[in-house]
Amino acid sequence: MADRPVLFDYELSANAYAVRLMAGLIGIAHDRRPVDVYPGRETEGADFRALNPRGTVPVWVEDGEVLTSVAAILWHMARGAPAWQGGDRAAETIEWLAFAERDLAAADAARLDAMLGLASPVVDPVAAARRAFRILDDRLARQGIDGAGFLVGAEPTVADVAAFPAVALAIDFGEALEAYPKLRAWTRRMRALPGFVTTPGVPDHL
Amino acid sequence: MSRTDDPVALDEWYVVGRPEDLSIGRPVATRLLGAELTLGLAGGAVTAVETETGRALPVTLAYGHVWTTLGTPTRGLPPIAEFDETDRRLATCGAVHVRASGLRLVENFLDMAHFPFVHTDILGVEDRPTVEPYDCEIRRDVDEVWATNCRFWQPQAAANAAGGQMSDYLYRVARPFTVLLYKTCPSDPARQDVIGLLIQPTDEDRSIAYAFVLVVDAVSSTTEIIHFQQTIFLQDRIILENQRPRLLPLSPRAETPTRADLSSIAYRRWLKEKGLRFGIDRREAA
Repeated sequence: MADRPVLFDYELSANAYAVRLMAGLIGIAHDRRPVDVYPGRETEGADFRALNPRGTVPVWVEDGEVLTSVAAILWHMARGAPAWQGGDRAAETIEWLAFAERDLAAADAARLDAMLGLASPVVDPVAAARRAFRILDDRLARQGIDGAGFLVGAEPTVADVAAFPAVALAIDFGEALEAYPKLRAWTRRMRALPGFVTTPGVPDHL
Repeated sequence: MSRTDDPVALDEWYVVGRPEDLSIGRPVATRLLGAELTLGLAGGAVTAVETETGRALPVTLAYGHVWTTLGTPTRGLPPIAEFDETDRRLATCGAVHVRASGLRLVENFLDMAHFPFVHTDILGVEDRPTVEPYDCEIRRDVDEVWATNCRFWQPQAAANAAGGQMSDYLYRVARPFTVLLYKTCPSDPARQDVIGLLIQPTDEDRSIAYAFVLVVDAVSSTTEIIHFQQTIFLQDRIILENQRPRLLPLSPRAETPTRADLSSIAYRRWLKEKGLRFGIDRREAA
């Protein structure tokens, strides 16, 4: 029998939370290896760079394969659950999965700046995060007209899982989402899913 | 805002960073009591300068952190005897920024009633919310606030807890912005782990919180210990950032205390006796 997959994890990382959430929703047993990202800067060390030259968490290691992109990890985790890959709308699912990894990174930069004083790689991350939230809110509004409650269809996909942490943790940088009613309704739909797991920072009202 | 003129606040020692955070080779800008500070290294020694005036400030390295003062403290750092016990492990948890008065952070740290609701299934469970009676006093000989004989049932009291335990707590507010907690050690019930919350009040309504854990724990990795504390503190941070007013009111009429808030009442009375103004909601000053 193959070894259980290993998640190199950091409790405060939004992307690491996306992986924990996916594991909860699909039910994937794995081992956790906590990484001292802050204050220990373990991701800057030679040992960690040997595993992931990009120096980021999460990292998913399974059967000798090392995945460091949250999009790749979630897609891989959902390989036995086609509905989570969007079924026949896989390309559209990847579109929103990529959006989450690329555009919502600003929200995590804003969080880490507000919480830990870590310098943001994005200029004005709060404004960039709000632009991304506006795009998501508009998308969910249009989906609602079609009777669909999630980013790609009527059922959640890996794209929703990838996007959820940045939105749900926005309060960490003082963004209470008042201006994004569809996003707030969507977070409640996400919370109601069987196997949902939370993380420190997600407010109870979302 | 600029530097406070509150002498009670100025004449204390404060943590302004950790030595390892200054090893990056360039000066670090930070704030204390409304003043800009520049921290650096000179000949291997940590330096602190008040940026606006260029005044060099005294620096002390202790308890895993860098301490300085803008005033003339009448006493040194609070003694913490457990740092002399060689089998203990020290983990410093970094700095967390919080938009709230540092006094709010201390008061939240003292509060056991929030455990089941904010730290659900870690420091408390929702069906055992009762705070049993405990004792609290202002210790005049050492000028500290102590809450003793505190007991709370905790499903996961520490990183190395294998199951639930009835934790015995002792809280010690050693300075207005420095608070210590002594709690039953899961691996050795005869001893107590020490957890410190050291506040850098940057502005009246903004703070940086540093935490250390000084434990008897041969099992958990330092990373696991740090992550446990970071998880707990980030759960608190949501609550702290939503408290209004952001400054701490001292009037007993401003917020309604219950029996469980004995330590908070003593803390506020102690602050009032000291005449501290920084971080306090002065609108209801009587």
